[in-house]
Amino acid sequence: MSDTVTINIDGQNYEVAAGANLVDAAKWHAGNDIPVFCYHPKMDPVGMCRMCLVELGTPGRDRATGELLRNDDGSLQIRYFPKLQTACTTTVSDGMHIKTNTQQVIDARNDVLEFLLSSHPLDCPICDKGGECPLQNLTMRHGPQASRMYFEDKQLLEKHYPLGDLIFLDRERCIQCARCVRFQDEVVGDDVLAFHERGRRLQIITHSDPGFDTYFSGNTTDICPVGALTTADFRFGARPWELNEVPSISPWDAAGENISLSMRLDRDFGGKAMIKRVMPRQNEWVNEIWITDKARFGHHFTRAEDRLQQPQMRTGGTLRNSNWEAAIAAMAATLQGADGDVAAIAGSGMSNEDLWALRQLLEGVGAGRLGAWPPTHDAAPHLEQVGVGAGTNLSELGRGDAILVIACDLEEEVPIWRLRLKQAQDRGAYLVVANARDTRLEDFAVQGARNDKVVEGDAIRYAPGEAVSVMRDLQKAHPQIAERLSRAENLVIVAGAEGLSLAGSEALAAAAANFLIESGHTGSANNGLLSPLPGANGLGLHYLGFTPQTTLNIMQEPPRVLIVAQAELLDDDPAAQQWLSQVETIIYAGLFDDGISQRADFILPLQSFAERDGSFVNGERRVQRFYTAQGPMGQALPAWKLFGGISQNAGIANLKPSAAAVMLELSGSVAAFQGASYRALSRTERQFPDVGGRDLYYGGTAYTNHGGIGLQIPTAADRGADVQRRDMADVAELRAGEGELLIMPITRLYNRQRSFRPSLLVEQRILNPYALIHPDDAAAAGTIDGDLIEIVAGESKVRVRASVSSEIAAGGVALPRHLTDAAVPLSASVGTVSRVTDAVAVR
Amino acid sequence: MAIIGNPKYEQRIERHLAKYETKRSAVMPLLYIAQEEYGWVNSDGIGEVAQILNLDPTQVKSIAGFYTMYSEKPKGKYWLQVCTDLPCALQGADDFHAWLKDELGVDEGGTTDDGLFTVEHVMCLAACDKAPMLQCNFRYVEELDQNKMRQLLAKWRSEANGRG
Ligand code: SF4
Ligand code: FES
Ligand code: FES
Repeated sequence: MSDTVTINIDGQNYEVAAGANLVDAAKWHAGNDIPVFCYHPKMDPVGMCRMCLVELGTPGRDRATGELLRNDDGSLQIRYFPKLQTACTTTVSDGMHIKTNTQQVIDARNDVLEFLLSSHPLDCPICDKGGECPLQNLTMRHGPQASRMYFEDKQLLEKHYPLGDLIFLDRERCIQCARCVRFQDEVVGDDVLAFHERGRRLQIITHSDPGFDTYFSGNTTDICPVGALTTADFRFGARPWELNEVPSISPWDAAGENISLSMRLDRDFGGKAMIKRVMPRQNEWVNEIWITDKARFGHHFTRAEDRLQQPQMRTGGTLRNSNWEAAIAAMAATLQGADGDVAAIAGSGMSNEDLWALRQLLEGVGAGRLGAWPPTHDAAPHLEQVGVGAGTNLSELGRGDAILVIACDLEEEVPIWRLRLKQAQDRGAYLVVANARDTRLEDFAVQGARNDKVVEGDAIRYAPGEAVSVMRDLQKAHPQIAERLSRAENLVIVAGAEGLSLAGSEALAAAAANFLIESGHTGSANNGLLSPLPGANGLGLHYLGFTPQTTLNIMQEPPRVLIVAQAELLDDDPAAQQWLSQVETIIYAGLFDDGISQRADFILPLQSFAERDGSFVNGERRVQRFYTAQGPMGQALPAWKLFGGISQNAGIANLKPSAAAVMLELSGSVAAFQGASYRALSRTERQFPDVGGRDLYYGGTAYTNHGGIGLQIPTAADRGADVQRRDMADVAELRAGEGELLIMPITRLYNRQRSFRPSLLVEQRILNPYALIHPDDAAAAGTIDGDLIEIVAGESKVRVRASVSSEIAAGGVALPRHLTDAAVPLSASVGTVSRVTDAVAVR
Repeated sequence: MAIIGNPKYEQRIERHLAKYETKRSAVMPLLYIAQEEYGWVNSDGIGEVAQILNLDPTQVKSIAGFYTMYSEKPKGKYWLQVCTDLPCALQGADDFHAWLKDELGVDEGGTTDDGLFTVEHVMCLAACDKAPMLQCNFRYVEELDQNKMRQLLAKWRSEANGRG
């Protein structure tokens, strides 16, 4: 069997991939845009709208002999179906002929369109989709000049039906294509949308509790081919043609979702350019055409009132407003007078350029301690060795492949990975989820069947703190699972840090790396290790020499001068007050003041990702650049400029003129970034499916990638290095003693981090502080579900509501980060739980 | 009450579940049970069916919405569906239907104040030769006229009252 077949479209032959969908093949190879409404290249065809009708024929065969029939001139006899066929439900076959431009086809399209419009409100002038609407575009081409329908006969349905907090449904505009329903069902795996009633009264409903509130709900507004679904965040906010699209990267997590910031000069922001909405930008290796709701709706912090906007300096014991010149000169003097006793802690929101400038500054003053924040995950050294191979595309995982996800909750930590891994399981991959508690992905792993299709997976529930030994001893304790993973054609292991100390997270990654090395799953695409490092640039920190181990060292032996860059220490670390008090001078640069202004000597406003150029390294080691979209808030500077300025003042190095120039130097100096010039990072290529070809909104309103698909840093294994397994005879695991429990901080996607709080719409969905505790442990602590409990672990003391459930294994307490005002422990620690007041009193 | 854990339905539910290869296929017979229990397909019933079949309630609601024999509005104790399709209409079913609504003082689809009767017209029930006819809670009552109908109404009323 060859991989291609020849089909004939409107008289011309094309070689197309065997097994391709006819609509996709015609578009990709012949540039022929067969119009569609219900078909979507990321979902199974359903043939519901009939817009894609074509004349379809196949070569005739002699019934008796099976010989191909030929015309007198020797050409093949093509037998056309007597009726038009839906192209979207057709798979190409050799010799297939289609006609897409005959009168019959054109009439059919015109008729289908007229039918769809028969009860459509035609309110394009006030519709958010107007201007980027497939229905509008196809009406231009195929629509009737005037309506033959009685206006009174149109359906009058609800125009502002809230499907959830974030999405509004206009029932009149819906053309019943079921794309939203199928997206929830097939892609997300949360079938909370469905049709109700039938015929002209067919309507989209949700009858679930909670309703339509997945982390991916915004994507339905992109793929809805009309303006029936709109977001509460953007609706009536602007017309698409007023918007200027700026390519960017989601600042939230390790996925590095490619996004497009839709900018407009706006009254609401003093007439300056502001982000009106965030849209997906196609990158099939990273996020395909999907983005999380957090990326879509969490942009408000870039223009939040409480952003730092003015440099401040402590003089005579009081923090006063200053100016950059004075502050930079003073800092240069302070740093030079510190005898090299300087350290820096940088957050994972810092771009590579920022980190490089900071590192140069530190080296220039004879200091070398570079800490990464938060110091919770230490998988990066292993990702550098045996991370997923170059060219990895999670959408290629399927039958014969396997995935192991251990000690993390991808739904909450890197939702796009969970989305894509669940789909890999749909395609036949074997999915194993191991954790001390139930997670969303585990629900999928053990589901057995979805939509009557068998899916394969297993779950491993281990005692809190035991992740490392489970991974190390997988062969012994779970031989069948280990066997299937080892034998898989491709294997990806995702190792997190939930329930582990920093050292534990390193050990887990090492054990996972061992498994991959032993089973030969390294150094090739779609094989290797992933880790949900927090923030957008966890790996950038690593490649530029900022490590979490150094952070712990800084915390133990605080320097005289500490530079804190985009790290909210006080919000994250309950012990921060204490160890910071031993630092003589704190230089704080960031977006928000987490209370550190009480102590710091310099408070310096930094620009957010939207205000400047820069690049992040995502969890798959892809260096991706983002572009300037919004003007700076107040006097905020990009961090590279701030630290470069100090370096210049101190005579260490000249300030670079642009982020691009910083990257040029960086790519020449740090091996990992070799070749990663801005020009290389902005390279694009045609991607399948073609969401922004001539038929602009074919795949929805995900935008074509004009900003670059990025450059993947090869792993040691990719480069052919001989990666060695590490002996792991003894691993130190956290053990709770008598009367104690293992307090495991967990990550929730929606939380009260300062950068997320300004997004009010999503804020409604942030949970109240709670902790998950096993019934036995709750009983031992004399507490029941709903009680207010106090959890004490090390310096951390928080009060939360007890959520008693056997979803968590006994011996551990899952305590979400950033829901409480007081900080929970940085990493898993041993602690105690006690009851404060009972459930009734809380209410 | 409820359908889950209700001894009245236990065996029937089991029987339906056993009939199908995939559990979700039993959604329609189970919806009838829910309708029987609550008089209509209400949220409680949908939730219970979803729970039994391990489906999302939205999916169950969708099925209930598609088929007209599931009622998503409360109905009277006696749900009278009068056929007014052509053959019946030729036998005077239209007039009969109008008369019945008058007699009970309700509009199309309405329910009497005492909550006993709901009247609604439907398409052919395949009993054209016995027109006018109706189905009361899915049981056929045929060859009707005003007299016969009055007697039936009286009977149902006393039946309902008798049981309190
Ligand atoms: S709301 Fe939009 S996506 Fe959903 S069925 Fe209607 S037209 Fe299709
Ligand atoms: S039927 Fe083919 S696109 Fe809708
Ligand atoms: S027309 Fe009334 S039963 Fe057939």
